Amino acid sequence: MSIGTRTPRRGALARSESRQALGFVSPALAGLALFTIVPVVLSIVMGFFNWPTFGEKTFVGFDNYIKLFTDSPDFWPALRNTFVFAILYVPISVALSFLLALSLHSRIRGRGALRVLFFIPVVTPMVANVLVWKMMLQPQGLINGISQSWFGIELPNFLADPQWAMIMVVLMSVWAGLGYNMLIFSAALEQLPESTVEAARIDGAQGLRMIWSITVPLVSPSIFFASVMTMITSMQVFAQPQLLTGGGPGNSTQPIVQFIYNQGFKFQELGLAAAAAWILFAVIIAITAAQFSVQKKWVHYEH
Amino acid sequence: MKKMYIAAAVAASAALVLSGCSTGDAASGGSDTIVVDMWAGSEDDTAALEAQVAIAQEQNPDLKIELRTAPWGDFFTKLTTNMASGNMACVTGMNSGMLSSYTAGFAQLTEADLKTAGIVADEFAPGAFDILSNKGDLYGVPFDMATMLTYYNADMLAETGAPVPAVGWDFDDFEATAKAATTPEHAGFGIGMGGFQWQALPIAKAGVQPVKQDGTLDLTNPAFVDAATWYGELVTEQNVALPVASASDTGWGENQYSSGMAAMAVDGTWNAVGYLDNDPGFEAGMAPLPAGPEGSLGLILGSGFGIAQDCENKEGALKVLGSLLSVDSQDYIASSGRSYPARLSSQPLYFESLAPEYREQVEEAFTAAFSNVQGQYVSDNWSKVDTFVQPQLVSVYNGQESMANVLETAQSQFGK
Repeated sequence: MSIGTRTPRRGALARSESRQALGFVSPALAGLALFTIVPVVLSIVMGFFNWPTFGEKTFVGFDNYIKLFTDSPDFWPALRNTFVFAILYVPISVALSFLLALSLHSRIRGRGALRVLFFIPVVTPMVANVLVWKMMLQPQGLINGISQSWFGIELPNFLADPQWAMIMVVLMSVWAGLGYNMLIFSAALEQLPESTVEAARIDGAQGLRMIWSITVPLVSPSIFFASVMTMITSMQVFAQPQLLTGGGPGNSTQPIVQFIYNQGFKFQELGLAAAAAWILFAVIIAITAAQFSVQKKWVHYEH
Repeated sequence: MKKMYIAAAVAASAALVLSGCSTGDAASGGSDTIVVDMWAGSEDDTAALEAQVAIAQEQNPDLKIELRTAPWGDFFTKLTTNMASGNMACVTGMNSGMLSSYTAGFAQLTEADLKTAGIVADEFAPGAFDILSNKGDLYGVPFDMATMLTYYNADMLAETGAPVPAVGWDFDDFEATAKAATTPEHAGFGIGMGGFQWQALPIAKAGVQPVKQDGTLDLTNPAFVDAATWYGELVTEQNVALPVASASDTGWGENQYSSGMAAMAVDGTWNAVGYLDNDPGFEAGMAPLPAGPEGSLGLILGSGFGIAQDCENKEGALKVLGSLLSVDSQDYIASSGRSYPARLSSQPLYFESLAPEYREQVEEAFTAAFSNVQGQYVSDNWSKVDTFVQPQLVSVYNGQESMANVLETAQSQFGK
């Protein structure tokens, strides 16, 4: 019998199933191509062209990139603002949501309801969140009103002062995004291995020592995940400064994504916008790679 | 396996074609179909446009007219996309403030074109053809015209005993009213943030525009700088206006006024009816902009229709454009009180459509305001200038930056 030496042929059923599977997946593939692959490739190409929305497109090589770094008055401030936002936002957001998750981890009454309450800003449209914060922060708003009537102190015009405006954008963003990381940490805390925790307790660990030496290392993969994701979203911040401060006063709160938006949709310079977008992409990749490279030192995957 | 990959690729390509490329040449329609594209924010707006299109259809039975609309906010995004893809509607709506960014898509209209459309320039208000002109070239014909007015809260002025703005008033009168109407509860004036809103008073005071007629940026013109500085000092020195809370408050002054927080504001004639029927229920009044030493220079603004440069049936499109601006159509928009028409013979119908108690005041303010107007000059990069200046104004009104500095920076950055 020579059958053993031949590769077995696939059955008709398997082939038909493969075809059907490809048939089913093709609309998704078309969507992926149309809305992801084509725009990504096109944006790479655009970055090397002077590409007005209409009119003649001309190849300019790296001119858009050079122009951004040397001749665009708003590019460096936008990059700086994005970094300032990320540096303030990421640690505060991660630390506060971890503390919140820890607090709600204790067996307190109504913790489920509290979790829902803290998660509400995450699912509320950003426009609504911003409206509320604007009403609180403006000179005739709630905070200044209370400060004046209770303490007789006139507070600064928070959203119109270059220093305060960024702090308020960060504060508002932290408030709005707190619930998301809290939920991740809550899930991680629910999964803490009982045996390890119990062993630590028997050894006398409690309070801060317990949190620092046992809980934090055990949930470090979640902290790492939250840090990476929060860093990426903070580098892409747009809605909060756009709606709360309009990027102002001046350009003091204009992030890089708002700069890209302005170049592309207001000034119709798509080539410049695409180049700026790829610079942002490179920055995000570099930071994420750096986060991954240092994770070995503090993230513990084995329980 | 290879066959399967090919089948998948074919299926993906078919889906791509079906989903992405099906719009094809739809906007230009067949040669006897003329598409009219215009913004409409409500059912009322759409109904009014449909009525005008019906008039045009009746006048052009050999053509098929198709109306397309999008809200104001989406219209220009859609137009940008349509222009980029060569899919612009033959008859497309355009606004004076937006034209400079879209001239590439519109055909320049010649005397012969106007003749084909049956449009006689003399039948339109003086300066109306400046509305959709750019650097001397005509890109469209306006159906309505607008300029900026000073609106006031008559109840607030009566309560504080402040002098009431009137035709022929000057900037001293303006300051006197603003000061007298300022109390701890409300400001005398709502400071402007929008391009037209903040520039109107400085232009009226200086008698010059911040751009020259040839499109050269002239933000550092000393007369304009002085007038603009005076404008910023209404907040910082004269304390008759509240500083803006955030650069995202683009309608700050007008919102302050309409919510009863400020006694006066500068806004366009397009909001006249809205302010008269305001929600808080105060008695609203209006007057032209105050006069400076050189008189009171106002800008003529408005919207109209132009012809797409790549329109296949230009003659048909011109006929439709002519009908949309015909006496019947203009009479319709005037008598419905929707906007102040550009055609002279239709203008009285606008005032007749207003409630009798407002009629005389509105007519007097409009007539005076439109008597000394100039087309708005804009530079090619005007949208960049506007986008730069607006968030800087917040710093000016909060005393952290000088108006002269902002204008100088904008001039050096965008005036190259």
